[in-house]
Amino acid sequence: MNAQNSAINVSTTPKEMRFFSRDVMLQYGVLWAFLLLLIVSAFLYPRVFELQNIQNILSQSAPVGIVAVGMTFVIIGGGFDLSVAAIFALGAVVFANRADVFGLWGAAAAVVTVSAICGIINGLIVTRLKVNAFVATLGSGSVFGGLAYIYSNSAPQVPNDFNFGDLGTGSWFGWPISIWMLFITFAVGAAILSRSVYGRSIYALGGNEEAARLSGIPVDLYRASTYVLTAICSGVGGMILSSRLGVGQADMGGSLALDAIAIVVIGGTSLLGGEGALWRTAVGLLIIATLTNVFDSLAINTNYQLVAKGLIVIAAVALDIYARKMRT
Amino acid sequence: MNRNTDHSGAASYGASLMFDVNTAAGAVASAGPSASSPLALRADGVQMRYGGTMALKGVSLEAKAGNIHALIGENGAGKSTFLGVIAGRVVPSAGNVSIFGQPHVFGQPRQARRLGITAIYQELTIVPRLSAVANVFLGQPISRSGMLDEKSMRRDFDTLCERLDVRIRPDVLAGTLSVADQQMLEIMRGIQSEARLLLFDEPTTSLAPPEREALFKIMRQLKDHGTTMMFVSHNLEEVLDISDTVTVFRDGSLSASGDRSDWDKPSLIRAMVGHDVVENRRVERPPVPAGMPFLLQADKVTVPGAIENVSITLKRGEILGIGGLVGSGRTSLLRALAGLEPRSTGTLVINGEACPWPNDPRRALGAGIALVPEDRKAQGLVLGMRAMDNVVMADMKQVSRMGFLSNTMIREKSRKIAREFGYPETRLETIVRHLSGGNQQKVLLGKVRFCSPSILLVDEPTRGIDIGAKDEIMNTLRALADEGVGIIVVSSDLEEVIAISDRIVVMSEGQAVAELDQSRSTVAVGDILHAAFRVH
Repeated sequence: MNAQNSAINVSTTPKEMRFFSRDVMLQYGVLWAFLLLLIVSAFLYPRVFELQNIQNILSQSAPVGIVAVGMTFVIIGGGFDLSVAAIFALGAVVFANRADVFGLWGAAAAVVTVSAICGIINGLIVTRLKVNAFVATLGSGSVFGGLAYIYSNSAPQVPNDFNFGDLGTGSWFGWPISIWMLFITFAVGAAILSRSVYGRSIYALGGNEEAARLSGIPVDLYRASTYVLTAICSGVGGMILSSRLGVGQADMGGSLALDAIAIVVIGGTSLLGGEGALWRTAVGLLIIATLTNVFDSLAINTNYQLVAKGLIVIAAVALDIYARKMRT
Repeated sequence: MNRNTDHSGAASYGASLMFDVNTAAGAVASAGPSASSPLALRADGVQMRYGGTMALKGVSLEAKAGNIHALIGENGAGKSTFLGVIAGRVVPSAGNVSIFGQPHVFGQPRQARRLGITAIYQELTIVPRLSAVANVFLGQPISRSGMLDEKSMRRDFDTLCERLDVRIRPDVLAGTLSVADQQMLEIMRGIQSEARLLLFDEPTTSLAPPEREALFKIMRQLKDHGTTMMFVSHNLEEVLDISDTVTVFRDGSLSASGDRSDWDKPSLIRAMVGHDVVENRRVERPPVPAGMPFLLQADKVTVPGAIENVSITLKRGEILGIGGLVGSGRTSLLRALAGLEPRSTGTLVINGEACPWPNDPRRALGAGIALVPEDRKAQGLVLGMRAMDNVVMADMKQVSRMGFLSNTMIREKSRKIAREFGYPETRLETIVRHLSGGNQQKVLLGKVRFCSPSILLVDEPTRGIDIGAKDEIMNTLRALADEGVGIIVVSSDLEEVIAISDRIVVMSEGQAVAELDQSRSTVAVGDILHAAFRVH
């Protein structure tokens, strides 16, 4: 069970540095899997490495990727959040609906405020009412999703603002803004999670709540904060998607919650909490995104894609568990 | 005693036959499978490798049926791993084991049970949300045509309680019981399974003397009925008291093995550590000056259902021991002071200033009170983190700048703590889960030490820890007191309480019933027990 090594160990001892030792192979199994996938993809779809394609892959997966960053915080803290899809949709609807009224920046502020409130509500249900995270966010997700429909009258919100599409389709320095947002979220998230006192406290909280409490860590506040982070990430994700599509709709969340959880889990972050890392989530995201890209390019029916992806999630987790067993 | 230094599996087999043999060399012939009493267990070259370390280096031994067989050794010597192999919980890297002549299937506890083996583990395997009865009959319920026979189970439970002289209500949720009572349930489960070979991993660590006695009585009864028992223990007195054969492990190999009559306490310790150790004794400390102001005055501490109106005082540099039986409220008192009992009430004066009563650990820490909890794995450490991360956890401000941690600072500061506690510096990067109990306890003490409390509450500091580490921990506590930290120690090991305390408060049934001053004369265990049982 040395998986935590990777999560918290910033430096590795010389002994562990041996490149092809069994432990390294097992610990970074998800990276090898990704490399293998790239090699296979190169044969199936030679254009996979073209810059245009890479940008396509990344900008398409930016919304779910940003949600997965927040989800990583919640899961490492020992929690779970099923309400992200609903908050995502709420973010999309609010952004599109308010864009003409508040202006783009004002609408963005409204999205962050609304999603933060959703996160606070989730946090309060989990820490104050002590409702199990699974049930709490299943319920609150239904509430938030319903509110998105009510707010939008079940109608697509199409703003007139000419610049509405900037966030989703514009670019800075030759790269789409959505990719910059994805990079920044990952970089800031990784720095916080692996280097900051707050991040370390989240690991402690997920690893042993009682020990964290005894160490004077404000466990309830920190636990709640992970839900707020995830909610804001979800709102921003929804904003990006609505900007790219030029419309905000209450049914935009779809299977986002499960996708985000799958990405975190494929990377090797344990659902039990206390271990994992954001680089793992990044690899998980790349694996899913590359797969989708290759499937699409081969014109494989999305129904088959669903089946294939489900099997891959299960295989990845089973492999991870097997690898952990081998390493102890 | 023979010494077995042979590590290779097959070759050590011959040497290990001395297991049943007395000290005379060359008496190998009298042991072996053909000996008059049948063998309950025969292990042959059992090896266990964890990553790069060999926990067992080819252990071969035999156990006669109907014997009580003790396994002792320092932490990490391999005795618990060996017990795990026998229990079928651990799959060895090499070697064979046969049970009553049948080959053992490893890694299948259910199969092991079929062979007549039942194991009672040190780590409790209680299901907290099930009742006491349900826990005792876990995995082997009495049923009639597929339906649970609650009545019979309850009847058997009551009989067991009577035999063991314990009072546990059958319907109470196991999770609400004390650690000692949970341990008792575990033992009851083992006994009622009517195993041929019963394995105990440190069965008495959380039991008070009367409960130990009751357990030993049962063990002797079981032995008379022909049950073979094997147990791991750190308590040499109880090993000498109850076992027929004693096997000593050292560094993953058999150090020595022989009949009870061949051993005494010094020879056991020699075999364990390889050299003589002075037994843990009371170390005289300069008395705390009488005029010294109080560091802590806690008045009328009450935890509903546990303790009532307990008042204690503590001075700078003083070590206060809390004596008493399990369930007397010792732990509740510490938890209340540490802010872990939200329903507790009382008044608190620290350094002459009234403080609000601590209702959460943050407030207690803020007032300079830190707790080393009883259960280091469940309450003290984050097992998945490195030792150094655990050390700094309670005060990360010290090792961070603007909210970001500095690995250099973590390493430097935790190294300093490690030196102070005799913890190997090379193990600071080890994941805590892989450390021995003694080292885990040092990490936990180091963690509390790191936030420099003025008042240190220590609950069972040496539970399940070997003698060498015990001494080190005791000495560190004394050194802290010499620096001016006020320390309150709770321990089931009354000799240990006596060895370390300047003053002892005896608790019984939730109240402080006596205060024994050690500045003039040393208190005897009997004095504490007299007070605890309210004998006058």
